[in-house]
Amino acid sequence: MVSYAIVLFISFTVVFFSLRLIPGDPVMRFVDLMTRRYSYEMAPEIYKNVIEEYKKMFGLDKDIFTQYLCFLRELAKLNLGPSFLNFPAPAQVLILRALPWSIGLLGIATVIAWIIGVVAGTLLAWFRGSKLDHFLFTVAICMSQVPYYLMALFLVMLFAYIIPLFPPRGAYSPTLVPELSISFIWSVLRHGTLPALSLILISAFGWMVSTRSVAITIVGEDYLRFATAKGLKKRRIHNRYVFRNALLPQVTGLAMSLGFIMNGFYLVEWIFSYPGVGTLLSLALGLLDYNTIQGVILLSMFAVLTANLLIDLLYPLIDPRCLYEV
Amino acid sequence: MKFKVEASGLRDKLSSFLATAKGSKRFVTGLMLLFVIAGLAVFEPVINAVRLGGRKPVEIGLFERGLPPSLEHPLGTDMLGRDVLALVLVGLRYSLMVGMMAGGIATIIGMVIGISSSYLGGRIDVVLNSITNGILILPTLPLLMAIVAYVRMDMLLVSLTLAVFTWPWSARTIRAQVLSLKERPYIMLAKVTNLSDLEIVFKELLVGLIPYIVASFSFSVIGTIMAETALRMIGLGPAEIPTLGFLLGWAMTYGALAQGFYTLVLAPAVLLVLIFVALNLVNTGLDEVFNPRLKKITGL
Repeated sequence: MVSYAIVLFISFTVVFFSLRLIPGDPVMRFVDLMTRRYSYEMAPEIYKNVIEEYKKMFGLDKDIFTQYLCFLRELAKLNLGPSFLNFPAPAQVLILRALPWSIGLLGIATVIAWIIGVVAGTLLAWFRGSKLDHFLFTVAICMSQVPYYLMALFLVMLFAYIIPLFPPRGAYSPTLVPELSISFIWSVLRHGTLPALSLILISAFGWMVSTRSVAITIVGEDYLRFATAKGLKKRRIHNRYVFRNALLPQVTGLAMSLGFIMNGFYLVEWIFSYPGVGTLLSLALGLLDYNTIQGVILLSMFAVLTANLLIDLLYPLIDPRCLYEV
Repeated sequence: MKFKVEASGLRDKLSSFLATAKGSKRFVTGLMLLFVIAGLAVFEPVINAVRLGGRKPVEIGLFERGLPPSLEHPLGTDMLGRDVLALVLVGLRYSLMVGMMAGGIATIIGMVIGISSSYLGGRIDVVLNSITNGILILPTLPLLMAIVAYVRMDMLLVSLTLAVFTWPWSARTIRAQVLSLKERPYIMLAKVTNLSDLEIVFKELLVGLIPYIVASFSFSVIGTIMAETALRMIGLGPAEIPTLGFLLGWAMTYGALAQGFYTLVLAPAVLLVLIFVALNLVNTGLDEVFNPRLKKITGL
């Protein structure tokens, strides 16, 4: 527990300082953008004053260590500081607004992929050596290494442009207002199909490969031979003996990949202009919006570490054998 | 004596490595696919010089705009009148160059750290191992995005940056392997015969590590090309290095799909998939051959 906190703290500190070491003045960029947007001319000394004022507001007028301490103090109050992206809304508000979209889309897609993959993987192990097994396993090995974003590109091209079945971008139709109505939910589902599919198609194959290799070691175990000799039905052996044992390591995998949700799927969101954390991050990077970038990165690391911690804590509950070893 | 110290050179070991690896269909298929892709990349200047009559593939308005695929332009031309096939081949060359460089650097760093951490053991192992694991949990892509967005980069710098985030995977694989190798009798014997640590590492350990180094390298190449493509797709990084990712990003921002220039997106994406599939087949093949336990179990 303590070591998790330490790892989180150290990694974040590294991120904080390396972000500030990146050349580029976000305040100047921000003010320039504002003057251009409102075509507002400023005398040079006023311009300078404005920049000073903004720097003070963002706490960027102090040296880097004071900034760091300030940030930590505010973080304790769950305040990430104002964002450039949507000034003066604080960064945590932006992140909280984007988070449900990411979690909804990616969380559901990850779980669906996991279920498909684990079931298919144990079945492959059960029918090992058959032609179908050999073929599907090779396909799965190849497919599981295709990056999500390339799959997303293929899907967009096929089902949004060549055969326009699904909308190519956004999370819901721009003519609708977010509300709990059937037409809105339908629109969200339609918009979510392609991005979710690009994750499911790839990671289901990944789970398939890993589950098969776990399950195949179980299929050779003595207690299965015993179960067969005992006259148990094949179906029961498969469901109770093979599937359940193969499930255990995969639960760990699922927790890990749920933790890594924020990590790998930025590009998919970007391709679909989905209003999630990934799109927020790429927008924030464009403005070098320190507070928002830090917030997203902190959140990502937090998610990964929490997943790790949860596995450590929950594993004995899922697998009773762990208790005996401890 | 039961365990003889083999005095055979690295070359013998390499050829025996290849002879063993040939036993895997997946390895051979992957390697052949790689050769074809690499061949396209290597001969890109020649192919393009012949096809375009010595003019640059990126030259705007070289041909008519938006031509559909034909014999003369197998992938058609884009909205600026450039031959898509020529552009894609250039992209392939640069993508592979970045991947090889970054993957190579990552593998070398991973080897040095992995071997020294596990071979020396003790406190050094604890420190190096926690650094390795620390980097593994960092959200790599956002960090890379932040760095690449604001630092002007050339080829070497891009590769180095990518390698910094990739080496821990190699280090972990190699560390685990050395941990098991160093307890083997022949290493013990080498120690007894008073070989220096460096000699043991280079003459004895490295040879046994070859399959894992090759696998680490191909794994790193996959990882770096993937990351590079991701970065370039959202429009980050230097335009002087027109990789496949850059091409994809360019095509996406200019609405190639909405305008119906499908080959401009399809061709780079398919090539990238082929690279990943080929490298992954090589990896799986190596695993099959050099992990006999696995082979016995899978029965494939």
